[in-house]
Amino acid sequence: MATAKEMVNAPFQEPAVKPESVAAAPLPIARPERRKTPRTWETPPAPVPPAPLDHYRSIVGDADIEELRFLARDVAGKTVKMVNSTAVGGGVAEILNRLIPLLGELEVKTHWDVITGGNDFFEVTKAFHNALHGAPYELTREAQEVFLMHNEQNRQRMEFNEDVVVIHDPQPAALIRSKSDKNRWVWRCHIDLSNPNPQVWGFLRPFVEQFDAAIFSSQSFARQLPIPQYLFYPCIDPLSEKNKDLDETFVQKVCDEFGVDRKRPIVTQVSRFDRLKDPVGVVQAFKMAKKYVDCQLVLAGGGASDDPEGAIVLKEVREVAGDDPDIIILDLPPWCALEINALQRASTLIIQKSIKEGFGLTVTEALWKGKPTIAGAVGGIPNQVIDKLTGALVHSVEGCAYQIRYLLTHPDFADQLGRNGHEHVKENFLMTTNIRRWLLLFRILLHGSGKA
Amino acid sequence: MAETMTASVPETQRTAAKAFYFNTAAHLMRITRQKANTLAEFLAALNECPEDSIFQHSFRTLQEHHFIRQGFSNDFAQWALSSCKEPRLGEQLSGVDVREFTSIADLRQRFISIVSDFLQTNPDAGAKAAQETFYFCASDVVVIPTHFVANTMHEFGEGIRSVSIHSIHHHFIEARLRLKLMSNDFSQWLHEDMGLTATARAVNQIDIYTGTLEDVRNQIVRIVERALTMGGD
Repeated sequence: MATAKEMVNAPFQEPAVKPESVAAAPLPIARPERRKTPRTWETPPAPVPPAPLDHYRSIVGDADIEELRFLARDVAGKTVKMVNSTAVGGGVAEILNRLIPLLGELEVKTHWDVITGGNDFFEVTKAFHNALHGAPYELTREAQEVFLMHNEQNRQRMEFNEDVVVIHDPQPAALIRSKSDKNRWVWRCHIDLSNPNPQVWGFLRPFVEQFDAAIFSSQSFARQLPIPQYLFYPCIDPLSEKNKDLDETFVQKVCDEFGVDRKRPIVTQVSRFDRLKDPVGVVQAFKMAKKYVDCQLVLAGGGASDDPEGAIVLKEVREVAGDDPDIIILDLPPWCALEINALQRASTLIIQKSIKEGFGLTVTEALWKGKPTIAGAVGGIPNQVIDKLTGALVHSVEGCAYQIRYLLTHPDFADQLGRNGHEHVKENFLMTTNIRRWLLLFRILLHGSGKA
Repeated sequence: MAETMTASVPETQRTAAKAFYFNTAAHLMRITRQKANTLAEFLAALNECPEDSIFQHSFRTLQEHHFIRQGFSNDFAQWALSSCKEPRLGEQLSGVDVREFTSIADLRQRFISIVSDFLQTNPDAGAKAAQETFYFCASDVVVIPTHFVANTMHEFGEGIRSVSIHSIHHHFIEARLRLKLMSNDFSQWLHEDMGLTATARAVNQIDIYTGTLEDVRNQIVRIVERALTMGGD
């Protein structure tokens, strides 16, 4: 916290008189004075080094860690190469930064290679990425040649002597040409292939079919392929700044800084200012709910400073929010993990009212913190939010508004959802579960499965 | 002489005829080709899917969702209720107790017969689009050992307290598919190797559908402690 500096951010709207029609609480409410400029940093802090495996014992228990060590015995001494297209930034690099040291601790020596390419290559792969998500795209012969040429250059430069080679996403997919009988190749697809552009998928598919296995993040992202397809849910690291336990005084300090009143219910959505996250719908749902229950809304996100569309969405959100002093809009830079963590922990309910979603790791984060969560039934969210058991799934603004009212007025039920959600993440979506999946996959690829 | 000594030692203090080795199972989920957007497609997929899929969505899902106390018994029932909005079918599917089955083929037939009967009496329900697609998955399983071995009831209790929930699921729920018996590894050992038939029966009678797997563990511990206190069955 000593390095924190002031940085001008979202302009502060002075509280206006609240219209009678939306005032739920009969008595005047004393609100803490809100800072005019939320505290953020000018530059990102240095990344926190990943924790060793034994630090997870206090979270998942000794037995689970011992099981990982037993599982690792069968593949100890084996070597793995991970290949992706970027060393910094992006979710894949973040995952590999944490995964590789933990595999190393389990004596699975893992080497990470990053492919290189010119602007032409990354323009093509960016277009492929969007097209695989369903965007219209005309695949030209030139784009195919650029893709193949850079893959070939990387293939010539790299060696593939490891026991298992894992290729992340489509960019390096054509490296499969180096596959031999000596090793096993896995394609780890992090993107949603449920509705791909047929030309691009038709071009990539022959490469994918040569792998020994493919991994997807959700059942709905998989394709009909002649190779085994495994399900690896994305995961969160419970020891990262975004998810670790926080001191209560720090949580209070963050709330004080952002003008969040912890004496009243807090409803929060953490997301980029992106239409697919429906922040406008969240404000509308909040306004409907607030007619019946007293609460505040925190919209904590980013993307408005580096994304022109994000700035437009933020403006729309501010317009819909109007002068309601109970709507707190925070445009934060991406390295405010501790602040986001604190806001989530201070929240009574968390919303993720996405219209389209990948897996929805903000939902995982909310569930991990034991928060009753209301989320759109899209993408990977239904894998996490089992309706009425680990959270509430909604399909509309009205449904979201009703769930806010219901959960705020039925705290015992809300607490039960929160407890179940936490356990669901502990069992299925933590870094340790991810390690278990990788070890199992290596074991199955190299030795076959031993059925019970 | 040996008989006299055995008789003087309480049953629960004896050394077992054979040790109980606590193992555990790790599962890797595979996505299969079958999926369903309607109940008619669901019925077709139930007939065609690999046995591993039936295992995944009935036995294995109990482990993935071991923390839920009520309202969840298998993935098929959950889908019928939440995505197809067919509460009667959901209730019927959730009433299937996996512990009544020692073969996946029989379990599959039970699910098929429930869905077929439902669609015969509700033919319009077959083509109605579900809110969410049901994707049939399957599990690749690897059995792995743990540090825990029991030669006595005391060690057995310690093992039960210390192993992971995955191990409890492996020995207590999945076991009947291996044993082909309406029993479980714990009860088999208590009966056959410790001679504690009533204790074995009490463990086998624990209801897995009204509590979490952690509750199951605690109930086994209580049964073992009671036997230790009483010195026998």
